[in-house]
Amino acid sequence: MSAIRIAGGRVHDPANDVDGEIRDVCLNGGKVVADVGPEARRIDARGMVVLAGGVDIHAHIAGPKVNAARRLTPEERRGDPVDRTELLRSGTGGVVPSTFTTGYRYSLLGYTTVVEAAAPPLAARHVLAELRDTPMIDKLFLILMGNNQVLFELIRQGGDRVKDAVAWWLEATGGYGVKLVNPGGIERFKQDNGNVHSLDDEVTGFGVTPRQVLESIGGAVDDLGLPHPVHVHANNLGVAGNADTTLDTMRTLAGRQAHFAHLQFHSYGGKPGGTMRSRAPELVEFLAGHPEITADVGQVMFGPAVTMTADGPVSAVLRDLGGDKWLNHDTEVETGCGIVPYTYRAGSYVHALQWGIGLELFLLGRDPWQVMLSTDHPNGGSFLSYPKLIRLLMDRAYREEEMARANQRAIGRTALLDGLDREYTLNEIAIITRAGPARRLGLSDKGHLGVGADADVTIYHDRADREEMFATPRYVIKGGEVVVEDGELRRTEDGLLLSARAGFDPDVRGVLEPLFGERYTVSFEHYPVLDPALREPAQVVEAGR
Amino acid sequence: MAEVRPLTCAGCGLLCDDVILRSDDDGAHLEPPCRLGAEWFSARMYPPAGTPAATVDGQAAEVDVALARAAELLRGARRPLVHGFDGATVEDARAALALADHLGALVATERLDGPWPGGPAIALRGVSTATLGEIRDRSRVVVIWREDPETTHPRLLERLGLDGGSERTLVVVDDADTATTSRADVWLRWPRERDLEALVTLHALQRGLAVGGGDLGGLYERLAVVPHAAFIYGPGLIAGAGGQRRALALHELVRALSHDRHVVTLELPRAPGTRSADDVLAWQAGYAGKVDFALGHPELVTATEPLEDVDATLLIESGPAGGLVAGPGVEVWIRTAAAGVAASGTMHRLDGVPLTVQAPIENGAPTAAALLTRLLDEVQR
Repeated sequence: MSAIRIAGGRVHDPANDVDGEIRDVCLNGGKVVADVGPEARRIDARGMVVLAGGVDIHAHIAGPKVNAARRLTPEERRGDPVDRTELLRSGTGGVVPSTFTTGYRYSLLGYTTVVEAAAPPLAARHVLAELRDTPMIDKLFLILMGNNQVLFELIRQGGDRVKDAVAWWLEATGGYGVKLVNPGGIERFKQDNGNVHSLDDEVTGFGVTPRQVLESIGGAVDDLGLPHPVHVHANNLGVAGNADTTLDTMRTLAGRQAHFAHLQFHSYGGKPGGTMRSRAPELVEFLAGHPEITADVGQVMFGPAVTMTADGPVSAVLRDLGGDKWLNHDTEVETGCGIVPYTYRAGSYVHALQWGIGLELFLLGRDPWQVMLSTDHPNGGSFLSYPKLIRLLMDRAYREEEMARANQRAIGRTALLDGLDREYTLNEIAIITRAGPARRLGLSDKGHLGVGADADVTIYHDRADREEMFATPRYVIKGGEVVVEDGELRRTEDGLLLSARAGFDPDVRGVLEPLFGERYTVSFEHYPVLDPALREPAQVVEAGR
Repeated sequence: MAEVRPLTCAGCGLLCDDVILRSDDDGAHLEPPCRLGAEWFSARMYPPAGTPAATVDGQAAEVDVALARAAELLRGARRPLVHGFDGATVEDARAALALADHLGALVATERLDGPWPGGPAIALRGVSTATLGEIRDRSRVVVIWREDPETTHPRLLERLGLDGGSERTLVVVDDADTATTSRADVWLRWPRERDLEALVTLHALQRGLAVGGGDLGGLYERLAVVPHAAFIYGPGLIAGAGGQRRALALHELVRALSHDRHVVTLELPRAPGTRSADDVLAWQAGYAGKVDFALGHPELVTATEPLEDVDATLLIESGPAGGLVAGPGVEVWIRTAAAGVAASGTMHRLDGVPLTVQAPIENGAPTAAALLTRLLDEVQR
């Protein structure tokens, strides 16, 4: 691993209060260092912008759900083949790329770390195997726990076994964090197409409510001191009026650390079944008073998408709204999955409103450390649309052009026409695309360029067209190696699996084993992933650091 | 051999992971008992005496020599084919696809003489599926359509809680008298050539476009009054001419029924390794089933192409003397350790659940994954 001096670039490193200073960044041994000798490779970054490698806090890139979407949508990739080369494996692109292509394209975009945001624990081996075939990036995954019948039973019993069970599950799977999706609602859907509609609806047959699930599991994650707080996909996603549920969920978790996924999809006013409107300003206000809560936006981008979620009832609604294709998969004890290919149209009232609400969350939000960039890839659009989204945030004139294309009735119901002329700075972009997500993930060596940080660096030409700038980094450095140069991959890296570990009372195994025996069709003994070939190379982040 | 417990049986796609294996002079014995599993273990634990590590043109050969010959065959081929995967692990499939990508080969995740998988129909409209536990714990009516799992997946009914005494209804649609029809609560004798008509009629009944329906009407009435139902199908329904249309009709029916209740399907593949290989192909190539890498990137093969131009074949076998076979003809054969017997790895159960298969014995043979990786190295020389 050779030493590198990135010389004379304009550095935006908000985690270290560096905002556009011209300075050198030195790399050696896979880390940022204070200085390197004259023998170091010199990258002339004059006139360029230097940022830490991008960190995507919420995307869907691997596992049975993503793979089912590939099977469901072959036509979506036919026009985007990726040829093998001496260096690269072949693959296919589109909105849901094949694994190698996913890794290559994230790297070409300047991203070096990505979170797979929803993995069924029972499918951990599959998730891990796909992530092994996703090169170039470090990756971590969140395990789905909001509809787990075993945890429901422990919650119903009371006591503090939930905390031990959560820690056991992370150890058993190699997961990094805990995701709650529509707590209780997926279990109800799998029973008879039901759902829960408020935090106090009882989950039939289990004697628990979504609020109890949020409090118990969210509290357990907080108590364990996991590096990433509980990651919440709230109930009633996509339903008009769901902002009430979202605010109720935030209040339920207030005082604990929590991250809310794709907040845009949970920021709607109106009445269920009625006309949707924006309540983004209220959510922004709430966040302003609760720094312990963060969110990623889940911006929708006009064009093709593939909705994929553990929230099966949402997919059933999309199916009934005219979805051409629909895939459902139920995973015993734990979760569900629904997939519907989708196109967001600028002329549609609902789609334009969703687009506008996402921008409201970005532009009204006061603290960029609290509201992070995502499209909930590929639900709101591909991660390849991030450069366009960045331009929408940085370039008001461009944003107004795009607003003019969208359904005006919808745009008129947002704050976008109320003199919202904010333009994100490069420092703010650095916060919402790397520094903020890394900090929220508890990845102290990522998202910044201070001494000791991972040598993950992206260098851009400083172009007026921010979309072009962020779409084609001049250099991408991963772990101290130049992997992208002039828009081409020059070297491949496997990337690490990042896992989290927390201590737990080993006696919890004796509690879990009989519950597994009653419910799973896989034995307790064979459930944990032990194969080093699946779990390595890995970096383990200890809880409570 | 002493008792080994518990382990995962890769004798069929169910991958039962609660199996206690004992062996004696009479062969392998399993607890819980399973005829198919016992035969599967016996055949692989005791391969024919004197089986060489490799052969070239039928003559015993060193593995290195056989690998070099196979590499020569494949390197010189204009249209290589990689198929089989009957007992493949995820690791085997990953290695095979790395080789296929390099060769620009055609890949099929089943033997090409096997049934056409139902994947293309799924890509047209989608599918509703579930793991075994979901069907066991929720489905009040289970319809097995022209499959005989008592023969092909002997513990399926037990694992779905359909082994008698439950308040659930097992319906079997078949015109042949099978081991499974004898277990049915309702045996709907229906001719194979009218399967499409049956599925469309059920759909019409659901939409109120038909009345009565005879025996089909009775089946629909059963489905209409339960909150959760499952359909189990496989090559019996979807293989052969018109198979995709029948698969599509099934999934359309399930989609329609799902508006008012929860309905899922479960496909029974013929070989335990098919699901694993198909999943790996889907994530590496973006397509499942049959994929052609000849153009330098993956292309989905949607037609039942005759493959007349294939001039070299790499078959990943899992029979009693399982191995890699490179053709044309059987010019090169290399013995591999059977996954679940002498090789460990990851396999995907027929419902997609990934499991570790163990290696209760050691017989010195390399895994298919290891051999395929060496073969790729040879090809690249």
